[in-house]
Amino acid sequence: MITSKEFNCNYENKWCPGCGNFQILAAMKNAFAQQQIPPEKLTLISGIGQAGKTPHFLKCNMFHGLHGRALPLATGTKIANNDLTVVVNCGDGDCYGEGGNHFLAAIRRNIDMTLLVHNNQIYGLTKGQASPTSSLGMVTKLQNSGTPSSQFSALVIALAAGAGFVARGLSAESGHLTELIVKAMNYKGFALVDILQPCVSFNKINTLSWYKERAYKLADTDHDPRDLAKAFNLAQEWEKSLPLGVLYEAAGTPFHERVPNLKANALASHNYDSKLLTDVLLQNL
Amino acid sequence: MKTDVTLKIAGAAGQGIQTIGDLLSEVCHQSGLFIFSVDDFESRVRGGHNFNLLRISDKELAAPGNRLDILVCINENAYDLHKEELRSGGIAIVNAEKPGTRNKTRFEIPLKKLAEEAGNKITANTVAAGAVLAILGTPFTLLADVLKNRFAAKGEKIATLNVAAAKKGFDAAKDLSRNTGFTWEAKKSHNIVLSGAQAAALGALAADCRFFPFYPMSPATGVISNVIPYTEKLCVVVEQAEDEIAAVMMAIGASFAGVRAMTATSGGGFCLMTEGLGLAAMTETPLVIVNAQRPGPATGLPTRTGQADLLFSIHASQDEFPRFVFAPGTPVETYETMKRAFHLAEKYQVPAIVLLDQFLANSRVTEKNSLTVAPDIERFYEQNNSGNDDTPYLRYALAQDGVSPQRLPCSGPGLVRVTGNEHDPEGHISENAANKIAMTQKRAAKLPAMIKEMDPPLLVNPTARVLLVGWGSTRGNILEAVERLGDQSMEIGAVLFKDLWPMDRKAIGKVLDNKQLIMVEQNESSQLGRLLAQEAGIVSFDTILKYDGRPFFPDYIVQKAKELVK
Ligand SMILES: Cc1ncc(C[n+]2csc(CCOP(=O)(O)OP(=O)(O)O)c2C)c(N)n1
Ligand code: SF4
Ligand SMILES: [Mg+2]
Repeated sequence: MITSKEFNCNYENKWCPGCGNFQILAAMKNAFAQQQIPPEKLTLISGIGQAGKTPHFLKCNMFHGLHGRALPLATGTKIANNDLTVVVNCGDGDCYGEGGNHFLAAIRRNIDMTLLVHNNQIYGLTKGQASPTSSLGMVTKLQNSGTPSSQFSALVIALAAGAGFVARGLSAESGHLTELIVKAMNYKGFALVDILQPCVSFNKINTLSWYKERAYKLADTDHDPRDLAKAFNLAQEWEKSLPLGVLYEAAGTPFHERVPNLKANALASHNYDSKLLTDVLLQNL
Repeated sequence: MKTDVTLKIAGAAGQGIQTIGDLLSEVCHQSGLFIFSVDDFESRVRGGHNFNLLRISDKELAAPGNRLDILVCINENAYDLHKEELRSGGIAIVNAEKPGTRNKTRFEIPLKKLAEEAGNKITANTVAAGAVLAILGTPFTLLADVLKNRFAAKGEKIATLNVAAAKKGFDAAKDLSRNTGFTWEAKKSHNIVLSGAQAAALGALAADCRFFPFYPMSPATGVISNVIPYTEKLCVVVEQAEDEIAAVMMAIGASFAGVRAMTATSGGGFCLMTEGLGLAAMTETPLVIVNAQRPGPATGLPTRTGQADLLFSIHASQDEFPRFVFAPGTPVETYETMKRAFHLAEKYQVPAIVLLDQFLANSRVTEKNSLTVAPDIERFYEQNNSGNDDTPYLRYALAQDGVSPQRLPCSGPGLVRVTGNEHDPEGHISENAANKIAMTQKRAAKLPAMIKEMDPPLLVNPTARVLLVGWGSTRGNILEAVERLGDQSMEIGAVLFKDLWPMDRKAIGKVLDNKQLIMVEQNESSQLGRLLAQEAGIVSFDTILKYDGRPFFPDYIVQKAKELVK
């Protein structure tokens, strides 16, 4: 029996006290324990930022990559070995800013993996600059007359790009978030969980109470996650209300079932075959 | 008797220049002859001006031909552009509306009309090939057999049509036939005709590379497109990435999971990949990148050739870390180099960069077939992945030789932790000063063994007082130039680099000491010269540099060398 304690590791945590990331970390551990996936069967791949550090703070195999590049790294890892369980941790700047193009491409490829975006609407690690998800006009030390770009709505974009699993969580709703992570990991294809995460140090607008005042659970409504049009409407709710839960879920064909050479077995599982290579490469030259 | 013929087939893009060149090459190959075939084309799909430069000999060829024996002009413009390149006794075959001038130097032939007579105007290129081979004195059956073979898949009707078209061209030019000295007969040879791009693809596949993420960019696209024909029989995946950054990251991600992967690009794409180079170095993940060079910063000249990325490749990405940089000189050598690049990248857990260029990637050259596939392949991942809280697996254990044991994620209880941040032996972020020194030294500690892996440069007449020094694809041109200078009683040697980095300073310094060095490179600042000055302490050198985007020719090097020799 694997419990969430199994994932505890004694590497010193480097987040600020009170940061929403702690609850995301707890929800991840719970989700892995619930699925009985031991640390050694888990591969976490992350970008750079406070969110990117997550894999260091639990027991797992991990690749802590570069700012913006977690998704293509994870894509390569999954194409090489589709038997690996891959979960990706990114920040909002990391995934939607520096890695924006990869975000769109990952959705279109539909690789069977889960993306958790720690969306604090700010650049945390670099000390509080505006991120793509900061609200228009948000004042920061750097954007001192307010950020001039309008807000990036990851959920709307993900739906428009054809994502088959789009969900939103809130770090403080850890039990609910655990459920979402489990669902995302069980989805056959690319699953996005955008997680609202208060940054107590730098985002003084979108605080925990700001989120709590607006958040409501889709499970308490009659929302049918197969309804794409409705999902679009929900994804656009922001200033007044914030739906939490699975906005959209539809079965699709994951990447490894679209690519002939990935269908049967993982690339990594084949043996080197000198005879086959000789026949195929050299015989007809 | 002359057994060395050069022809040029010139016209607009989309006029099938390459088709004619390929047909002629194939007939020559089937007759056991050697070819050196270079394409010259513009970055456009239709129009403009393109040519194929085909040199044929009964001896192995190291370089392209220059003065033309036969000029095939698909349009009149081609004639105007190239007629001066004909040597005395050479002949131009010029496409015309109707039969016209017909003498020893200019032969007008209505390709389209003859093709229509044969059954379809689309066979005009086959008509042209027939005419050329008639002039070369090739028996028609050789061409007919090649055509039947080539069009077999498209059905007998198409094959017959093309044979008929070839015959039209052949007959029209028969009486212009000359004795080239070749023995024309179908021969089974032990030679192969490969392009550098094709060889790179084959070499990677032979090295068990299974994943090819890439983003299209000339002249690197050919490397990847040459993998495609094998994806049916071999379990390999080609994936077009969203950009070069993604391509290199995917290769690193796959390598992390134990699958050999590579990407190929040209300078502009390589610029985007530099952060990946650093990530591979910092995480010590094996990585192979082919940089098929083209000239110019930014977009430069997309379809032209150059060698101006040497110093960039050696230094690309911030800070310092060990890497391999190779620059093979011929297609067969490219095949071998790719195999070694994968082996060494994995053995030392470092990036390996293979420099090609447009000239090498696209030229098709006959060489002895020495290609092999290894009976077994050495992999460097530790199989036994144990580990627990008390004795965790240390991905970055401070090994004496810098090479810490690499394991695969999820291959056992040992947790594989890698990060692009500076890290402690376990793979956790560390900002500790002593650790930073230890890790930097650990990575650098690989260098002595890496240097020992490097093949010394090819030496030709190393005792000569004057040495031509080059690297990569200029090899053949320099070799031929040295031979010709020798024929003119000039004592000149050559030092030709294939393995460029890391460099065995002392050994190379010895070779170059006390010589007049003439650097022969396709860049403006003599990058190898500057590198050798830095590494091997050479004080001065002369240069033969060419940076017009076109390849060298032996003639050019011979002429320049004569001016420079003191
Ligand atoms: C190529 C590159 N550019 C910039 C940085 C600096 N940097 C590190 S984290 C970060 C942004 C962090 O914001 P976010 O991705 O939202 O993550 P958070 O820290 O908020 O979790 C930036 C700009 C970097 N490490 N690499
Ligand atoms: S800066 Fe913000 S996001 Fe980063 S650890 Fe502190 S509270 Fe969390
Ligand atoms: Mg953030």
